[in-house]
Amino acid sequence: MPPELIALALAGLLQYAQYGLFAIPANVELGTGYTSSARDRPPSRPLSLTTARLQRAMTNHFEGLILFTLAVVVVTLGQQSTPVTQTAAWIYLAARILYIPAYAFGWRPWRSAIWGVGFAATLTMIVAALIP
Amino acid sequence: MSSELSILALYGILTMVQILVHVLTATPPLGLPYLVGPRDEARPLTGIPGRCKRAAENAVTALALFAPAVLMLQAKGALTPHTLLAAQVFLIMRLIYAVAYPLGTPWLRTIVWVVAFLANLSLYLAVL
Repeated sequence: MPPELIALALAGLLQYAQYGLFAIPANVELGTGYTSSARDRPPSRPLSLTTARLQRAMTNHFEGLILFTLAVVVVTLGQQSTPVTQTAAWIYLAARILYIPAYAFGWRPWRSAIWGVGFAATLTMIVAALIP
Repeated sequence: MSSELSILALYGILTMVQILVHVLTATPPLGLPYLVGPRDEARPLTGIPGRCKRAAENAVTALALFAPAVLMLQAKGALTPHTLLAAQVFLIMRLIYAVAYPLGTPWLRTIVWVVAFLANLSLYLAVL
């Protein structure tokens, strides 16, 4: 299996972990009565500061993961895998793991810097795939 | 690399440019300290920065539908002149969309969105 695909599989598992990190405290704070309802109204109590941050971190990783999936698809199916694209894939994964504590603990401006590293790694892979 | 895969890569770059434009246009109204912080209080975006945000979010949604179609066509070896044309139409329409939304051209934006949506749908039909 190409290293980029392994990184993609791990990034998918990371998103499952982010689901758990957000959903468990959210259910404790809002109550399962609310979370299992149709959520027609906003919850009576807001999420705690950290849980709300973990939710935004998860939402942001959906966007990152969609773009990273595209990058891995064009690199692997286009047979453009090189040490550059493989390194970029691992950098992406590392950045997205670090992004979670950076958001939860409010590391300013490092959360944005870490986001930028993951973004640049994805862009590197896509551009590398387009260069014959 | 096939032309359809190249178009998918180009669309990925377009989406990333739209995300960067969204961040850059959001910086003056929201301020850099807010953007690089944990954003604990929600600050809405209005006007052109709000349009750029919505356009970028729409581009990501479209990507989630476009990437599987290209992936399946490539894996199945079902690439034809029709799928190439549909992918080209999709990319051009999404490019117009990216410009039309910040400019606030209501009908043009909606029409190119629908054409891109239908071009993508034809890729799924081609897979089947």
